[in-house]
Formats: sequence, C-alpha cells, structure tokens
Amino acid sequence: MPDDMAKSTQNKIVVSGFRHVFETDDGPVQATDRVDLSIRAGEFVTLVGPSGCGKTTLLKALAGFIRPTEGSILCDGATVLGPGRDRGVVFQELAILPWRTVRRNIGHGLEIARVPRAAREATVGRLIELTGLAGFEERYPHELSGGMRQRVAVARTWAADPDVILMDEPFAAVDAMTRLTLQEELVRLCGATGKTVFFITHSVDEAVFLADRVLVMTRRPGRIKAAIDVPGRAAGRDWESFKIDSAMQAIVEQVLRLVREERGATAPAASAAVTK
Amino acid sequence: MSNAAMEGSPARRSAARRWTAPLVWRLLPLTPFTLILAAWVAYWAIAQPSAETLPAVQDVAGAMWDLAVKGELAVHVLASLLRLLLGVALGVTTGVIGGFIVGLNRPIAEFLNPLIVFFNAISGIVWLPLVIGWLGIGTALAVFLIWNTVFFIVFQNTVLGVQLVPKVYEQGVEALGGGRWETIRSVILPGASPYILTGLRSGLGFGWRALIAAELVGATTGLGQMIFGATEYHRSDIIIGGCLIIGLIAIAMDRWLLLPIEQRTVRRWGLAFDARSEE
Ligand SMILES: Nc1ncnc2c1ncn2[C@@H]1O[C@H](COP(=O)(O)OP(=O)(O)O)[C@@H](O)[C@H]1O
Ligand SMILES: [Mg+2]
Repeated sequence: MPDDMAKSTQNKIVVSGFRHVFETDDGPVQATDRVDLSIRAGEFVTLVGPSGCGKTTLLKALAGFIRPTEGSILCDGATVLGPGRDRGVVFQELAILPWRTVRRNIGHGLEIARVPRAAREATVGRLIELTGLAGFEERYPHELSGGMRQRVAVARTWAADPDVILMDEPFAAVDAMTRLTLQEELVRLCGATGKTVFFITHSVDEAVFLADRVLVMTRRPGRIKAAIDVPGRAAGRDWESFKIDSAMQAIVEQVLRLVREERGATAPAASAAVTK
Repeated sequence: MSNAAMEGSPARRSAARRWTAPLVWRLLPLTPFTLILAAWVAYWAIAQPSAETLPAVQDVAGAMWDLAVKGELAVHVLASLLRLLLGVALGVTTGVIGGFIVGLNRPIAEFLNPLIVFFNAISGIVWLPLVIGWLGIGTALAVFLIWNTVFFIVFQNTVLGVQLVPKVYEQGVEALGGGRWETIRSVILPGASPYILTGLRSGLGFGWRALIAAELVGATTGLGQMIFGATEYHRSDIIIGGCLIIGLIAIAMDRWLLLPIEQRTVRRWGLAFDARSEE
C-alpha cells in the first residue's frame, strides 16, 4: 500500500449543491437544501442531524436510488447515475433477505459478481468469523437476534468489497449493550480494510466515536452546517478509553451543542411538515 | 415479580404445546368429521329417512366399495385428477407469469386492468355452452374451465404479492450489483411466494368446483359425471360417496402437496401468514 498517503488526500465522493424535492400528493416536500460535502478515500465520515432533516435522502442519492432535483453527486469523478457495487449500502431497515440463510445473504454480492464458489466460501467464512456469526451460517434471519441480523447486514455489504460503504443508522434498532460491541467491531473492521465510509446516526456519541470527521446537518431542508475533525481513528478506539479521553469528550460536547441548536428552535411550519 | 411471571408463562405454554403437539394436534382436526358422522348415524337411526333423501353410512360405503371393485371408481378418479392437475398447472403457470408481468409494470397493469375485471366477472359456468361448441366435451373443456378459474385467483394474488415486496429488498440487491433479472429472481419471486401459495391453495379449491361443474355436463367420465349419472337413478349413496371422495382427495392434496411446499419455503423463512403467533 505505498500510495495510501496519496489516496487519502484524494476525494472519493464530492457532493455539490445537492437539493432534493419530493413530489407528494400534498405538494412538494423539500428534503435537502444545497448540501456540499466531500469525502476523501479511506475516510470515515459520520452525519448527525435532527430526524427528518434529509439524511436518508442524501444517502440514497449517494447510493444512486434518488436523482438529485438540483446539484451533482460525483464518485471517483464520475456522476452517480444509479446503484452500483462500488457503493455498498447498509439500510436503516437492514434489507437482508428473509429467504436466504446467513451464509447465502453474506455471499450474495459475490454470487452476483460470479466469484467462483471456493473463493466465495473463503470470503464468507472469514466475515462470519470476523462478525461472530460462526455457528449460525445455516440460520434464516427470522431465527436471529436483532444484533445478529445487524451483523449479517454489515457483513453482506462488506463481502461484496465495495470501495465506499454507506450506512443509514445501522445500529439504531439494537439494544444499548450490543450497540457498543457493534461499534467497536466496526472500528476494528474499518481499520483493517481502509474503506471509505459514510455513516448516518442520530447519536452524537456514536458519531464522534466512529469518525474521522463529523458532519452536522440543519433541520429540514437540511444543509451541512458544520464539520468537526476527530483525530486519532487510525490508532483504534474503544469505549472505555473514549469515555475518559477529555479531548474526545470536548468534541462530543461541541457536536451536541450544534445538534441541540437545531432541535431547540424548530419553526412551527417546519415541525408540522416533518412526518418521518 | 409480575413481569417475570408474564415472561415465564408463554414459554411454558409453548413448551407444553410442543410436547402434546404430535398427539392432540394431529387428531384434533378429525373431531368435526367425527361429530358430523355421529350426527348422520344418529339421525338415520332415529328418523329413518328414505334412502333418496339421505342414505345410510353403510350404504354409501357399500356403493363406493362396489364401484371400486368394478374398477369404475378408479377410472372416474383418474379422469378427474388428470383434468384437475392439467387445469391447475396451466392456471398457476399463466397466473404467476401474468401476475409478474402486470405486478412489475404499472403502465401494463393500468392498460390491462379493465380487460381483467371484464373477464373475471364472467368467468365460470357461463362459458360452458360456448366452450362445448368450441372444444367438444371431455378433458379439454374441463381443463379450460379450471384454467379460467385458477388463473384469475393465482394472477390476482401474484400481482398483489409482487407489489407488496418491500422496495428496500430490491435496493439492497441493486447495491450489491444485481440487475433487474437478479432482483426478480432473488427478491420478487421468493418475496411474493406467500401470496402465490395462498393463490395456489384457493386456486386448487375453486379448481375442484370448476372441474365438477364441467364434468356434470361436459364429460363422459370423472367424479362429476359419476355424481350426475347417479342423480338419474336416484342413487343418493353414490352422490354422497362422490362428494366424500372429492373432499378426501382435496385434504390429501393440501397435506401432501401444499403443506410440504410451505414448510420448505414460507414457513422456513418465517413468512407464513400464521407465523406471527409463533413469534
Ligand atoms: N419518498 C418520499 N416521498 C416524500 N417525502 C419523503 C420521501 N422520503 C423522505 N421524505 C421526506 O423528506 C424529509 C427528509 O426525509 P429523510 O431523508 O428520510 O430524513 P432523515 O433520514 O434525516 O430522518 C422528511 O420530511 C420526509 O418526510
Ligand atoms: Mg433516516
């Protein structure tokens, strides 16, 4: 990896002036208002913002499921025109398939890419080990706990080996203890693979813990109102030392303040229109 | 305290149910049949109706035995089964394919909707006089009438099933690099299968009805013809016996054809419509 340094200064994703308006039966709903951001290759960027501010909309546009009403979205310098295997997605709803076993869910991307069976099984086996799913390979999702389903969703996206991974509040639905474990696992997984990650959350702690950089969004229609660098991800992170690291806690405080400003002064018109 | 008790009781109840399942649950569905049989025997013993209005249980059994020994019963059953399976197979195949085409394409759905409503409304026995002219009497006629019934049921269930598959499953596969064909194969088809199987189940039931209706007038063999022929000689024992055989074959098909399919698919995946109570 001699060109890691050069790569890390390169922009993987560039969003400029992304504005999106949903046409609904009750008229247009503007989800985002001129979002500008760029993500460097290998960077872990988290996004926090009040519920309904357009986070998922932005992620779906990066994934290629939504065409911007205005503005542009570039990945590796090319306009995003649709979903593709270079950009993996872990959905808020997980979206792992109930009719596939753990093994076949995780191997699905490789199956689609026509990776030979032996190589596929090797990758799947490694990810099953890494995510602590050993022994559950032949189970179906409905037989798993929420935390395990979560791991399957992450492993499935990881196995396809995309350059960019987009994650939409992936840990929101699991219990607090499991969440801490999953977050530490994610830090380790990312450290090992050097992926570019865009991660949405509504937890400020989580945002700071995972990130190289935290983005804060305004309330709907969302814009990026601040970007805060968080140093030292490369050295690895765990919750125990994170909680007593005063530099880290200062960043948490700072982000918390930025987020609170958006929650506090919600205009009546805006709050009435937020439905999701 | 009360919390712990509440958590404990469902677990204990389900454990108890698992233990008694092989015995009670397998025999329980026989109770209503036993009751009907008992009522029949009792009514016959008390009221002694004429054989034309209601035959005795032993007369029905005897009549069926006679037909079986003569080999006639097998001929009727096989003729009916052949027609039923042909008609149902055709109806299911066309219904699923049509349901996919319409379920996946909103413009096509809107284009075809009036046509489907139109023909669905006049499906059934109305076709009989016309179709006898086209196809003559016999297997083709029955197969057409069964197809005409099964198709609409399977078709409408498939359309619904296809449209109800959560969009995010498709997006998940697209983000893994899957194209249209891959999403249809690995998302829509299994995702719609609970509805397709429901369609198949009701399709089979209504297929029997269409079959017997077709055979009453449009065939020389088959269970419908056996029953219809018996009415001319006032043989109520054969009529009732024929109905019993139809019902028993229907139950057998449900148990040994549909249930195994369900157990390997929607039940295995936790998608069976009655799976909620198990959670
Ligand atoms: N498909 C859609 N159609 C109409 N409005 C939508 C749709 N998706 C999202 N919205 C609206 O856009 C706004 C932003 O939604 P979203 O991006 O999901 O917010 P977040 O993920 O930040 O909670 C919300 O007001 C939501 O109701
Ligand atoms: Mg969201």
